[in-house]
Amino acid sequence: MGDAAAPAEAERFAIGISFGNSCSSIARISPEGKAEVIANEEGDRQIPSILSYIEGEEYHGTQAKAQLIRNSANTVAYFRDFLGKEFKSIDPTPCHPSAHPQQQDSTVAFTIRDTESETPNTVTVSEISTRHFQRLRRSASDFLGKDVNAAVITVPTDFTDAQREALVASAKAAGLDVLQLIHEPVAAVMAYDARPEATVTDKLTVVADFGGTRSDVAVVACRGGMYTILATAHDYELGGASLDQIIIDHFAKEFMKKHKTDPRENARGLAKLKLEGEATRKALSLSSNAQISIESLVDGVDYSSTVNRTRFELLAGKVFAQFTDLIQQVVKKAELDVLDINEVIFSGGVSHTPKLAQLVSNIFPETTTVLAPATSTTAINPSELSSRGAAFQASLVQEFEHEDIEQSIHPMVTVTPHLTKAIGVEFTSQSDVTFQPLLSAETALPARRIAQYSAPKEGGDVLVRVCEGARVIKVTKPEPKAKEEKPAQDEDDSDFDSEDDEEEETREIVWKTEKPVAELAVKGVKANGKIEVMVHVNPDLGLQIAVREVGSQNAVRGAVNGSA
Amino acid sequence: PTLPQGWAGEKDFKIVGALSGATQRNVEPVGPHFLAHARRKRNNRTFSEDERI
Repeated sequence: MGDAAAPAEAERFAIGISFGNSCSSIARISPEGKAEVIANEEGDRQIPSILSYIEGEEYHGTQAKAQLIRNSANTVAYFRDFLGKEFKSIDPTPCHPSAHPQQQDSTVAFTIRDTESETPNTVTVSEISTRHFQRLRRSASDFLGKDVNAAVITVPTDFTDAQREALVASAKAAGLDVLQLIHEPVAAVMAYDARPEATVTDKLTVVADFGGTRSDVAVVACRGGMYTILATAHDYELGGASLDQIIIDHFAKEFMKKHKTDPRENARGLAKLKLEGEATRKALSLSSNAQISIESLVDGVDYSSTVNRTRFELLAGKVFAQFTDLIQQVVKKAELDVLDINEVIFSGGVSHTPKLAQLVSNIFPETTTVLAPATSTTAINPSELSSRGAAFQASLVQEFEHEDIEQSIHPMVTVTPHLTKAIGVEFTSQSDVTFQPLLSAETALPARRIAQYSAPKEGGDVLVRVCEGARVIKVTKPEPKAKEEKPAQDEDDSDFDSEDDEEEETREIVWKTEKPVAELAVKGVKANGKIEVMVHVNPDLGLQIAVREVGSQNAVRGAVNGSA
Repeated sequence: PTLPQGWAGEKDFKIVGALSGATQRNVEPVGPHFLAHARRKRNNRTFSEDERI
């Protein structure tokens, strides 16, 4: 490769794209190093993933969404999940009010009038995606004044290889070089971790991505800036649409009381209710009262009404419970307890719902940070997380060759041994033995951690025991009286007792030493001295340990051979 | 840290056990720390070697 190839060819300009069934967004890293979501020419940062055609003219985003009422047959929506899939395996339900998906060879297609001629064309879902990407690319290029030709795109964790390939191909056809596909929950975590003020810590994060037509929740272990997905759960029927339905039903019933006709039975009436109902639901996330007004809803009757947030929350109780169940389900699937979770990140449009954030924070202990607009002032707009994370990754890999990226994301590199148990240091005071974890379980190897501990006040010789530890959940029942009576009542109402006590008992995490690994002695430590412990774990489970008194140069070192 | 009594070890170090197993998991290939990890792994470098470069 000579220098001559550089000017036109190698100029790469990458953005982050989050491509959703309902909405897509585009983001870049600003010259100041901050992630920035780009608005399209209509001023939308959340661009509906919808395309519509009238007389050969293409409409996109919000404009296309409005066409769902008058021009539904030539409007394509909710197509992301159809990419790279067999017709048999798709769920066409969300497309009911727009152009219907149909089988074409092995893929999915839509029959729409996308030219000026009267005869409709059959357009594959790949082609639709390409047109969607072209529009996104153009919006980004117009905003930035540069030709955007590369992107990092987010995908759900359950996307198959065929879906990934189809996505890359259709982006490529739109002139976008896909540098990498990254998982949505990890993009959300990164959107937070990439902020300049954030610090890299070891934490367990639950990412709740509540979208328009589906919801995905994942448990991510963040260890020294590396991310590992421990468990995922998906619900393909739960999302903003489920909440919209509650609003729609509520207003439809109210309308029926006055006018004796059900607007839901009229296709156009239903489409109008859907569009306005969604806007009302979104308004309820921001204020405690929201209006709806629809001109000529059905039979030429105008309709307008209001609903308050409390009423909505009451009606939506069941659906909210489905969201919280999904979160509890995934924590259980990861074989964890809610106490283990350090952080909950709300992502996706529905995460703006205040009640949902409240309900979720009730599940978790007070120590867990719930990052949603309703519960945290530092929360980032949940709708923007995926694209921000993608933009950040795009800025990191922009300079790399394709081959480099491919080699780096190869399983040879990504499949890594992870610790099954935490490693830490055991402390013995007068009465009890405690354990402080230094490396958490599920840390990817190799890893190294350094920590300082204060030595006993009087100084002298100090023993450092490096151990494997386990986390135990200690349940303390606050009533000591119950214990005395227990032997007598044990048989008949022990079940009743435990249920009754459940709310009052306190549960906490307690660390227990499981297996000592090595002992080190530091001699002649000064009074009130501090001791620094460094533990390095190799991929073969070998350990290198070094211990020294803070301020001194002499360290005690040792190595434990790996078993694997 | 505790005070040892009658404790002895070669060069003040004693091996008492080994770690119990590891699980193979997939690390997500994103973020600066992963890229550093990938660079080390592909070049077979250790942490300290990587820092020197």
